[in-house]
Amino acid sequence: MSIVPAATRFSRSAAAAPRPARNGWRVALTAYAVAFYIFLYAPIAIIVLLSFNKSETTGLPFLGATTHWYHVVFSRNDLMAALFNSISLGILSAIVATSIAFLLGLAFRRGFFGQPAVLGLILLPILMPGIIGGIVLLIFFGYLGIRPGLYTTVLVAHVNWVLPFVFLTLNARLQGLDRALEEAAADLGARTHQVMWRVVLPIIRPALIATLLFSFSLSFDEFIRTLFVIGYDRTIPVVFWIAIVERIAPELPAMAVITVLVSTLGSLLGFAVSARSRIKPA
Amino acid sequence: MIATPAPSLRHRLAKSGPGWLLAAPAVLWLLIFSVVPIGLMVAMSFWKSTIFGTHPDFVFDNYKRVFGSSLYTGQLLNTLRIAATTTLVSLVVSYPIALLLARLTGPWKSAFVLLLFVPFWSSYVVRTFVWLPILGRNGVINEALLALGIIDRPLDVLLYNQGAVLLGLVYVFTLFMTLPIYVTLEKLDPALLEAANDLGARPLQTLVRVIIPLSLPGVMSGSVMVFLLSIGAYITPQLLGGSSSLMFGNIIASQFLSDNNWAFGSALAVTMMLVVSIILSVLGRFVGLQQALLGSSG
Repeated sequence: MSIVPAATRFSRSAAAAPRPARNGWRVALTAYAVAFYIFLYAPIAIIVLLSFNKSETTGLPFLGATTHWYHVVFSRNDLMAALFNSISLGILSAIVATSIAFLLGLAFRRGFFGQPAVLGLILLPILMPGIIGGIVLLIFFGYLGIRPGLYTTVLVAHVNWVLPFVFLTLNARLQGLDRALEEAAADLGARTHQVMWRVVLPIIRPALIATLLFSFSLSFDEFIRTLFVIGYDRTIPVVFWIAIVERIAPELPAMAVITVLVSTLGSLLGFAVSARSRIKPA
Repeated sequence: MIATPAPSLRHRLAKSGPGWLLAAPAVLWLLIFSVVPIGLMVAMSFWKSTIFGTHPDFVFDNYKRVFGSSLYTGQLLNTLRIAATTTLVSLVVSYPIALLLARLTGPWKSAFVLLLFVPFWSSYVVRTFVWLPILGRNGVINEALLALGIIDRPLDVLLYNQGAVLLGLVYVFTLFMTLPIYVTLEKLDPALLEAANDLGARPLQTLVRVIIPLSLPGVMSGSVMVFLLSIGAYITPQLLGGSSSLMFGNIIASQFLSDNNWAFGSALAVTMMLVVSIILSVLGRFVGLQQALLGSSG
């Protein structure tokens, strides 16, 4: 018994001991899982359906398929401006946060004074309510008399939000990096910057790319912090929010579908990159 | 010259600058944009807001207003109750899924785990909005029930109440419960289940006396996470709740977005921050931040 590996033992027992009760559990569990995944996906499916509905009001009945609402979305200048703002903010905050976090990850590899305090601080935005993250920046910039701006106040809010996630992913990868590789490079006469560019960076490049994609997606969807510091500019979530609060416009489902597509694509690409790099032998 | 041994890596690294130099951008960023703003908010909670603006002072008026009547403490308790209910419902909804995913094998497992993530990668605002055309007066559920002849007037009770808020919160946060439970169940040694089976335990006994006790760390981690996220909710109650089901976050926000009473708003926000800090200091060790990574929202 003990010489059989754990994995085969488990599968054997599952196959060889089909008590009736166990099958009952399995059926119940599977039925529940189907219900759960329907709960997760049905609302999204319904929104996709409604985005193609000919009806002037958002909802059923389905009066026939049309791509009209997508044309409406793409012809609204304010929406396209918001889309541009969201994409450029996503790219900028991904770059800023990833750079800061990468350097901090290198610092963590060496160790420095005050390391635990910095770790606690950088993770704070995950645990503190987003609304507080927005309010403290509103107060801070308001007190300093700094006007709300996309590439000033909003960028800071987005980097604050993205930083903990970026740091957690990059740091895990940097801590897992074998020091022997750097030592070998150094022993073979590589200078410090050569070790960095030719050894460290190529190894963690997939993690960097995945991190950039994830942070783009996080920034693209950020709403609660942005709401407090955006002033008169608009990002996609903010313009979407205002549209919902003011009135349920018939093009809202189409807007929702486009938003979901952009952020899901970003995360999915990030996921694919990090999954591929994990499979490769280090 | 050639014979001299290469200096050690640590020495070479030290030449490129000490650790704190690499940490400097992050430390500066956090000091300026995190520590100072939080400090300023705490200070402002002792200031005075008048119609002419907010002025530095050192008074406890704002806190007296927060804790002086049952208006705000009642709202806080109500928020904690909604958060606790959301946590409980999420736990019940998520546990069987975590159990099933942990027992799946092969490509199905990866596929279903990925399918669990995907909805959480899209905007929180969108994932809350979706419930409006479903639960609303002309929404999908009403239209379906009307078409089936079950009701003859659209129901108004589906939206703008605490039930809708609860549904919305469970929908956006349930991944934070499923994931840590799944991770602990995944690590469970199959030999333990085998042993329970060999010793004659029925499946229900194995579940109650082996699986559930061993998954408690994951349950705690998920519960703390969902509870914290729900306490700070703003979007969900704002969109799906009625005036009677507003949460503490909505009250805080209105001080800044409409009432322009920053000093009082700061006192409310500090109160929320204290509540969160107390929970974290008691239960923080259960929080697995790595698990929050892939399913981020808020």
